[in-house]
Order: sequence, then C-alpha cells, then structure tokens
Amino acid sequence: MTETYKLELFPDWKATLLLFKNVQNSADLRRKAIDGSIDGTLLNPAMIVDPFQILVAVNKAIHLQMLGKMKTRTLNSEILFNLSPTNNISEAFKKFGLADNDSGVLIVLTEDGTKKSQEIISQIDGEQVPITALTEFTDIKKVKKMYKLTAQEEKISTVLEAVLCRMSAKDVV
Amino acid sequence: MEGDAESRSRLRTRAFLDGLSLMKQGAEARVYRGRFLGKAAVVKERFPKAYRHPALDGKLTHRRTAQEVRSIVRCRKAGISAPVVYFVDYVTNCIYLEDIEESTTVRDHIISMQQCGKEASNLCALADKIGQVLARMHDEDVIHGDLTTSNMLLRPPCDDHNLVLIDFGLSFISALPEDKGVDLYVLEKAFLSTHPNTEEIFRALLQSYSSNSKKSGPVIKKLDEVRLRGRKRSMVG
Ligand SMILES: Nc1ncnc2c1ncn2[C@@H]1O[C@H](COP(=O)(O)O)[C@@H](O)[C@H]1O
Repeated sequence: MTETYKLELFPDWKATLLLFKNVQNSADLRRKAIDGSIDGTLLNPAMIVDPFQILVAVNKAIHLQMLGKMKTRTLNSEILFNLSPTNNISEAFKKFGLADNDSGVLIVLTEDGTKKSQEIISQIDGEQVPITALTEFTDIKKVKKMYKLTAQEEKISTVLEAVLCRMSAKDVV
Repeated sequence: MEGDAESRSRLRTRAFLDGLSLMKQGAEARVYRGRFLGKAAVVKERFPKAYRHPALDGKLTHRRTAQEVRSIVRCRKAGISAPVVYFVDYVTNCIYLEDIEESTTVRDHIISMQQCGKEASNLCALADKIGQVLARMHDEDVIHGDLTTSNMLLRPPCDDHNLVLIDFGLSFISALPEDKGVDLYVLEKAFLSTHPNTEEIFRALLQSYSSNSKKSGPVIKKLDEVRLRGRKRSMVG
C-alpha cells in the first residue's frame, strides 16, 4: 500500500507516499512534524489531484536544496511550498498543510534509502489506504479555486495539467 | 561552495540527459525524449553559444527559458494548446515538457497531404484552425516570434486538427499590431517557401485569423506594410 517512486534526476533518492483515512491524531502528528520527530511532509489530500503533482514538488525541492536555493527552511516544508501556486509561504501551509482536525492525511517521505516508513505508519491513529484512493479525497472545486483555473483552459487541459503549469511557472509569472 | 553545487547539478543533469534519446540538435537548443517522474517527457536544453560573451550569454539564455515558460502558461490559460511544463531548471536552462506523443508537425502533415493529392479542402480546414489559434494567441498579446509549420504539432489523429503550438523561445508579450503583423509575416514566408503552391491555403489561414481576432484590422494592415517593405528590400538587394 505504501507507494515508492524513483526520481530520475536524483538516483540516490526516492519519494514515498502514504495515504490514511479516519485519522484521529492529526493535531498530534502535526506537532511531531513541527518538532522534527516525524521527518516527512504532512498534507491535506484535498488539494492533491494526482501523485504526479507531489513528485513534481519533490523533484523541485531536492533540486533547490542541492543548490542551496530553497525558499523555506527544510526539504519537507519546501515540498509543501512547491505545491502552492503563490509565493506566500504561510498561505501555502494553511492551504496545503495538515490541519488539526483533518481525517484524511497524505504523507510524503523523501528517503535516500535508509529511513523507514514503517516507523511513521505506527504513529498514525488511522487506516492506511492505497494511493489510488487519492481521488476520493480530492476536492476538485477547491483545487480549481486555489489554482484559479479558467473555463477556457479547461477546454484544452485536465485539472492536473493546469495545476502542474501553475507550480512550475510560479517563479516566473 | 555555490559554484560546486552548481557544477554537481550540471553533472547530474548531464547524466540524466545522456540516458535519453536526442530528438533534435538545433543551433540554440537540444531536444531530448524520455521519461521523467514516470511520464513521457521532452526536455529542451538551451546551451551556451561559444561566440557570445559568457555573462551576456547566461543572461540571454536564462531570459529565453523564462520567457518560453511564461508564454506557454499564458497560452494554456487562454485555451491555446501548448505542452504542459513539468519542471524548469535555471542552472542548466532545461525545460521539462509534456511529450505530445505520436504527434506530427503541421509541416509533415501538409507535405504528406500534398503528396497523396487530396490537399485543397482538407488543408483549408487545417488553415482555418491555425488562423483561429493564432488569432486567439495574438488577442492574448503573445507574439510567438518563430512561427513555422514545424513549430505546430497535431495530436493524433492528424485529421482532427488538434493543434499544439511549440517552441516559444523567441516569444514575447506585445499588444502592438506591428509585432503581430511581423509574426504573421514570418509565418507567411516560412509557409510559402516550405510548401510550394499553397498561396490559396495561406489566404484561407489569414481569412480565418481576421474573422476570429477582435483586433485583426490593424494587424493585417501592418502585415501588408511589412510585405511591401520586404519586397522593396528584395528589389534593392
Ligand atoms: N512537447 C513536444 N512533444 C513532442 N514533440 C516535440 C515537443 N517539443 C518539440 N518536439 C519535436 O521536436 C522538434 C524540435 O523542437 P523545438 O526545438 O521546440 O522546435 C519539433 O519540431 C517537434 O518535432
């Protein structure tokens, strides 16, 4: 159920996605992510359309970390920031980060092959579901509003594609 | 330190690109095809030009890369198809794009249509579609800068005329009729020289452009002026 992806530009790294429903301890998890005892990005899955959206954010975060050019302090927060269409960091956290009473939780782990996702899974009071269930969590209406999709664009583009363009172009638009 | 990080980044990109297949080696860029984050992708790498001063070259290359990304996204937002941008690397000036799989360039399509002799009506329908798309693009004030039939792709099946514009490396934003007129002039020159005996088809394209653009009047007027200038220049030279 734990899905792991390779990152072609960074062969020593990989990204792991964990999805949970009926989570009871989101506030607790969030605290642990802030104090560093959970080393992962905790997301509200409502804003995520497809795993590819996350992989694009992870790839960019690792790229910028290696150049010393991240906009935020940690790789985990940079992944979250890269998902946002704007350069406002606190808004990115509010919209994409896990909130205290969210019951759906998406966790992104970037590993160089050493860390274990098992350790994190054990800390979650909820039920793990396959990443293919992501679409059940996606709030398409919210996504369209967040990324400001236009009706004209939707004639030629999927929601995912529109989201990807916002993410990749946000530093030049 | 930062220099080290950049050179390591370059090496990583090089290693990745060397594993892809080279599709095209141009004067300013190489285009590769392969997989990126599990998707079929095209990577466009702008490389330094040896004859330019390195500092100037770096700035120019960076600007073109950023401009290409900006124009693609601006077009897509306005409902004009262009490849999705997945990732931009400003160290190596690489753009990672959606691969328009199994696509044909408009150039190759026209050539094969002319060869099998069924040209006229079908090609006029295609010209009509191109005129429509360019009208919408110019109404958004995007000037492509390098319109040719090679920079237009058709998603399969070709006969659907599902047009995708590519190669926005020379693009810019302008509301001036002159810039739009020159954009069309560049296409006209390329079109008629690549595809002999297509004057009628190109006329259909311009007709469609005129009827689909809200601001075509002054643009076509400029196109006429630019043509005249071109002709005078060729009479002198
Ligand atoms: N996104 C793409 N999908 C498929 N083919 C492409 C794409 N971009 C470029 N090409 C092909 O590569 C050639 C050179 O690309 P360019 O340098 O951008 O004009 C084009 O004529 C196309 O045949």
